[in-house]
Amino acid sequence: MIEITDAAQEKLLEIQNSREEEIVGLKVAIKGRGPAGFDHSMQFVVAGEEPEDAVITEAGELRIFVEQGSVDNLKGSKINFIPATGVFDIENPNPPFVWDDPLAQQVQDVLTEQINPGVAQHGGWITLLNVKDDVAYIELGGGCVGCGLVDVTLKQGVEVAIKASVPQIVSVVDTTDHASGTNPYFQQSKNDPHHQADKGGQAPASPFA
Amino acid sequence: MSPTRPEAPPSRVLLLMATKTYRAGAFLEAASRLGIPVAVGSEETHVLSGLNPRGNLQVDFHDLEGATDKIVEFAQENPLDTIVSTDDDGVVLAAMASDALGLTHSPMVAVRAARDKYHTRQALTAAGMRTPEYLRFSVDDDPSEIAQQVSYPCVVKPLALAASRGVMRADDPEQFVVAFERLVSILRGVEHGDGTPVGDQILVEGFIPGAEVAVEGMLIAGELLVLAIFDKPDPLDGPYFEETIYVTPSRHPQEVQAEIVDATGQAVAALGLTEGPIHAEMRVNEQGAWILEVAPRSIGGYCSRALRFGSDATLEELILQQALGHPLNSTEPASPASGVMMIPIPKAGILCEMQGVASAQEVPGIEEIRLTIPVGQAVVPLPEGSQYLGFIFSRAENPERAEAALRQAHARLNFVILPPDEADSHEPGETAVDVPDFRAQNKPN
Repeated sequence: MIEITDAAQEKLLEIQNSREEEIVGLKVAIKGRGPAGFDHSMQFVVAGEEPEDAVITEAGELRIFVEQGSVDNLKGSKINFIPATGVFDIENPNPPFVWDDPLAQQVQDVLTEQINPGVAQHGGWITLLNVKDDVAYIELGGGCVGCGLVDVTLKQGVEVAIKASVPQIVSVVDTTDHASGTNPYFQQSKNDPHHQADKGGQAPASPFA
Repeated sequence: MSPTRPEAPPSRVLLLMATKTYRAGAFLEAASRLGIPVAVGSEETHVLSGLNPRGNLQVDFHDLEGATDKIVEFAQENPLDTIVSTDDDGVVLAAMASDALGLTHSPMVAVRAARDKYHTRQALTAAGMRTPEYLRFSVDDDPSEIAQQVSYPCVVKPLALAASRGVMRADDPEQFVVAFERLVSILRGVEHGDGTPVGDQILVEGFIPGAEVAVEGMLIAGELLVLAIFDKPDPLDGPYFEETIYVTPSRHPQEVQAEIVDATGQAVAALGLTEGPIHAEMRVNEQGAWILEVAPRSIGGYCSRALRFGSDATLEELILQQALGHPLNSTEPASPASGVMMIPIPKAGILCEMQGVASAQEVPGIEEIRLTIPVGQAVVPLPEGSQYLGFIFSRAENPERAEAALRQAHARLNFVILPPDEADSHEPGETAVDVPDFRAQNKPN
């Protein structure tokens, strides 16, 4: 399902072996979508904290826990490590803006065709995270974050456009501030260093530091 | 809430809001919860306004006549039932445009007077209310000469800036000259969005000792409905007047609270305000209540989040209901006590790191900590600055606990602010946080 290059495998094992905790694998998931495609996340899985619903696959000496909801969108992906920059990269051949859910696809089309071209002029983008119970969950990126008019853009622009084109949508929820704990939908795992940092807690060291 | 007649089209609100407002989300959410269609008038249109032309209007708050014409023209195609300004910036325009459209609103002359500290003083004096001695000067006047005319201690303040910006106490002529010149410098460095200066006049008034309180109220056909009295437990004796903690309900004796309410009612009547939210600030001492300010708007910043009514209705919901002439939801407090702390900026520099947020959030009674300045941004304390690092909100069974929670949470926070030349090389520690919900700073009025 997921391929890991030799360089990536070597580096991951090196980091894994340097950790004090017993690491049993690597969790990979689609965290979101940005203008460049999927936004991936990778975390080491500590023994005893294995995700219950993940699909487990082996890649060389590494055990990969693929988050259930990300399985389809991670098929055929390849994890690379680029020594020159010291960063990992996931090549994902799947189209990022294609959804199995027809309702989500309609919302995605509105974002792609009507909304994001305008938002991009101001250096921002808006990502659809999911559609659930006729509610569209979105996230802001780039220049949208911190914009003084962001609430107006959302309520008077994004929500109006989505509801006009997809009347079944009853609400559009911005999850950009989910890290403040105010949003009940987009819950990140407790082992996600980004989440911990946002909450002001002790951020566990990134596996890729 | 439903419209008054099921067959009638839903009432429509024009919300006037500056682009840098903190209040957009709260008002838009309130309108959404009440099912009220909204148009937004602001100095700039947002990037998607073309997708919803009926919902967005560009207006210049400083070109009152031009903006009023635009609103009237807009209303011909998109009928409006009321106009509400979310902050100070748009209150005069809201009044003027309401007049032009025949919508219920406080008279423009009253709103104008309330926006100007000198005219407020005149109105309160004429009504025989307790008010400090006051004099108005130009930024071009000689502070050394003025220093001989005023009594001490006194307070110098700009006529138009908000959030205690530029307000300084002077106890003698020497301090007065320094404070006056400092305020002149502040005023000369602050412009409206269109490049015009915010003001060239300075008010000098007697310092009134005593406890400071704030009143949040609603005017309905000239009748004052008090929604909350906030105590400000931190002494505000100068030299600068940084707001920190607001706690409600008030712990002043009932007779003092009655005097506070009475003074607020007299002040709004003296100014001629009749409709909509009001926010009054006053000092209370052995002589009684001294009105410092009555603003024809609701409490600023994110502070309204400290108030919840009935089954968790927001202040903004009540404001919209009142503006449309709808019956108000319950105005009973939703909790026994609540408070908000505006986190002061301790020193100037670059905000490099914020520590202890998670720990502060765990303090019993703390409901939310909302940081408003992102790491990497320059911060300036009072009197030159106009921002806070963020807001802490508490809710508890009594005001003592609500206040204690705010203080305890604040004590757990640490803000690393460094000079610009040291900021670049600063490496955040393990507890550094990003600001997930940054809102740009308020602009001067």
